[in-house]
Amino acid sequence: MTLGERLAATVALCALLALILSVVACESRDTKEASAGAQPFSTFAIGPQPGPDRGLPRAENPYANDKTVLADGRRLFNWYNCSGCHGDHAGGGMGPSLRDSLWRYGGDAPSIFASINEGRQFGMPAWGTKIPRDQIWRVVTYIQSLRTPDEPDPPR
Amino acid sequence: MTGTEMTEMKRSNDERRWSRAATGVVLVATILAGCGKSQTTQERSADTTAEARAALAASHRDSVTTSLAPAPGVGQVGLIPAGSDLGQKPGEWTMAARDYAASRFSPLNDINVSNVAQLKVASTFSTGVLHGHEGQPLVVGSTMYVVTPWPDLLYAIDLTKPGGALKWMFGPNADPRSVGIACCDVVNRGATFADGKVIYNTLDDHTIAVDANSGKATWNTKVGEIAIGETMTMAPLVVGNKVFVGNSGAELGVRGWLAALDLGSGKILWKAYSTGSDSDVKIGADFKPFYASDRGKDLGLHTWTGEQWKLGGGSVWGWLSYDPELKLLYYATANPGVWNPDMRPGDNKWSMTIFARDPETGNAKWAYQITPHDAWDYDGVNENILIDQPMNGQMRKILFHADRNGFAYTLDRATGEVLSAAPFVITNWAKGIDLKTGRPIEDPAKRTHEGIVVRDICPSSTGGKDQQPAAFSPRTGLVYIPAHNVCMNYEGVEANYIAGTPYVGASVKMYPGPGGYRGELLAWDPVHQRKVCSVLEDMPLWSGVLATGGDLVFYGTMDGWFKAIDARTCTEKWKMKVASGIVGAPIAYRGPDGKEYIAIYAGIGGWMGAVADPNVSLDDPYTALGVAGAVPDLKQKSAEAGILYVFTL
Ligand code: HEC
Repeated sequence: MTLGERLAATVALCALLALILSVVACESRDTKEASAGAQPFSTFAIGPQPGPDRGLPRAENPYANDKTVLADGRRLFNWYNCSGCHGDHAGGGMGPSLRDSLWRYGGDAPSIFASINEGRQFGMPAWGTKIPRDQIWRVVTYIQSLRTPDEPDPPR
Repeated sequence: MTGTEMTEMKRSNDERRWSRAATGVVLVATILAGCGKSQTTQERSADTTAEARAALAASHRDSVTTSLAPAPGVGQVGLIPAGSDLGQKPGEWTMAARDYAASRFSPLNDINVSNVAQLKVASTFSTGVLHGHEGQPLVVGSTMYVVTPWPDLLYAIDLTKPGGALKWMFGPNADPRSVGIACCDVVNRGATFADGKVIYNTLDDHTIAVDANSGKATWNTKVGEIAIGETMTMAPLVVGNKVFVGNSGAELGVRGWLAALDLGSGKILWKAYSTGSDSDVKIGADFKPFYASDRGKDLGLHTWTGEQWKLGGGSVWGWLSYDPELKLLYYATANPGVWNPDMRPGDNKWSMTIFARDPETGNAKWAYQITPHDAWDYDGVNENILIDQPMNGQMRKILFHADRNGFAYTLDRATGEVLSAAPFVITNWAKGIDLKTGRPIEDPAKRTHEGIVVRDICPSSTGGKDQQPAAFSPRTGLVYIPAHNVCMNYEGVEANYIAGTPYVGASVKMYPGPGGYRGELLAWDPVHQRKVCSVLEDMPLWSGVLATGGDLVFYGTMDGWFKAIDARTCTEKWKMKVASGIVGAPIAYRGPDGKEYIAIYAGIGGWMGAVADPNVSLDDPYTALGVAGAVPDLKQKSAEAGILYVFTL
């Protein structure tokens, strides 16, 4: 081993140790707060999770891979005026495009559900009291079909 | 002075003005004859520019005038009504359009046709905000005031310091939820100055008066409610001790209003609604509309079915003007609530209406509905420019209005009579305006309905022009109109009213109009309702216009060119590419160093400009209420920014 290589190895080892230590530290702090009765997590994580993925409880989309609800999801997208803010075919306008690959609050089904259910700070209404959960999932399924061959009534 | 003496004096003043104006008629004719040559094709206007450049190179700078134009300053062919600029210095710009007449004319002429080629950037200022920078800065004394799009920051810049130094910044903490309910980007069209206060509106419906010296709010009044879809984007106007403001949100089923606030305290004195009973609309015994179809009791209720008037739109988000002699305040109202016309049979008053009101009481003196039962979103809010000009040998007090519906109107602003109306862009939904009834002569095939895609309607919903304000030069008697050439397919669809969400009910797809250009800067003769000359532009023009005493007209393009053209010939005299597309309105002012400056915002956005937003996907042409199809190339041509540019010689 040259001096340089040895130095590099030491740095790597230190980094690894630091990582392990920090994870351990985080774990213990979480445990402590949890035992004090706090609810450390909301149902859905919006921000990145510190430390390793702990498998937060994630709501499942009951219609995942169910193409039969897509047309109804599209209908509801218009009916609840989502199209007014997000564009007739969700390409954006007053609200952001839901067709693109950029997601401010996550593009997986539970995150999209949360965006719709709870609303978002820059003017996305919270629809939880207005739209039944079952219908929200249908809209989520429609949104996830955008730009795929399954998209019902694509823009022409 | 006795009363008689005063009348005498006034009359002789008037006569002087009238006769000066009469000289102008001859001038108009001369200009008309001359300008014909330089008309309208891009190639030709490019040629004339080359000619002008060659002339400039060949001869002494100061002696260059175009052969087409009479010597500048010989006479006035139109007048900005007396008292309109409230006695501000020629180098100031204290309200949105500089004067009550909404002229956007600055008398400054240090920068003029012969030297504008030397115009250079003097300083720049980043507002720190992206999104559409509509509107214009103000210059009062030696301070400039800049309002940004949401979060609606207000900057005061000390112009006595080299390059301009920040004096203070005011942040109103505007509610972030208002961002999502603003129909057409989070724009703000600027402030107004009165009584030592800078007064402006915020997206979350506050009108705020900020002390010009300290930068602290003197008063802050909540005038609207975001929960029902109201936002505010317009620039207030102050008349006497009242501040006039109006709401935005006709795309969300709001009910439009104009409010008067007390200048001293910010207290709301009254609101005049655009729909509902006569008392809500402030229509009383002194209401004398010119046309029969605007007469009758409670038309704001009876020209709707059921309770639809409550969601009836007619918001007041455009520009205000005021005639100090007639003591009338003018503004026009927006489209009716829900774009699907089949959901609201009837004329839908008082949407799409020009109102003349007594600013003291708010009472309507006359009203003229421009587009009854709108079926295209030809939102009527465009500016009303007040001009005194001779027509058929008689001096007239004109109100000039270039509407979204493609027609340019001149009205008698005392009575509301339409004196003439003519299309200023390619227009096919109506053949003309019937001057006996005031109503458009529609092509029934272009009237839209629910469940039917009506194709090839010109102009599109964005109009022959949108809110971007035109300018008037009393030196040429011409109005300079930033126009669009965009058409559309339109389908009414059923809409479901949910408070605080869009209530649109239409699928709109826009596309460039015929002719290979999407924008045009028109020099328009309001007396003869004809184009004198123009510049064709690739992109639709979303910038306002400035006309100056130097016989220059300034405007910007959505792909970021800031240009100066000769006010008499439309030949290009100067241009510069700035950092982002221009949707603001230029101003001219004199700095504390005595030099003339021109200022403009670069910051793409607004309704059409929203396409430049990275959050808009172009594979959906219906995006952003249909504008994506009109400017699918905008993303390649301009990115967002927020920069104030200041130019001088
Ligand atoms: C009043 C306008 C408005 C309406 C109506 C509206 N949205 Fe939104 N929506 C927004 C805005 C604005 C945002 C961005 C919020 C933010 O960034 O904080 C948004 C965000 C979202 C997001 C998150 C996007 C991301 O990038 O993470 C989803 C998903 C969404 N909306 C779906 C819907 C659905 C489904 C409906 C109809 C039930 C709907 N929206 C109705 C304005 C609206």
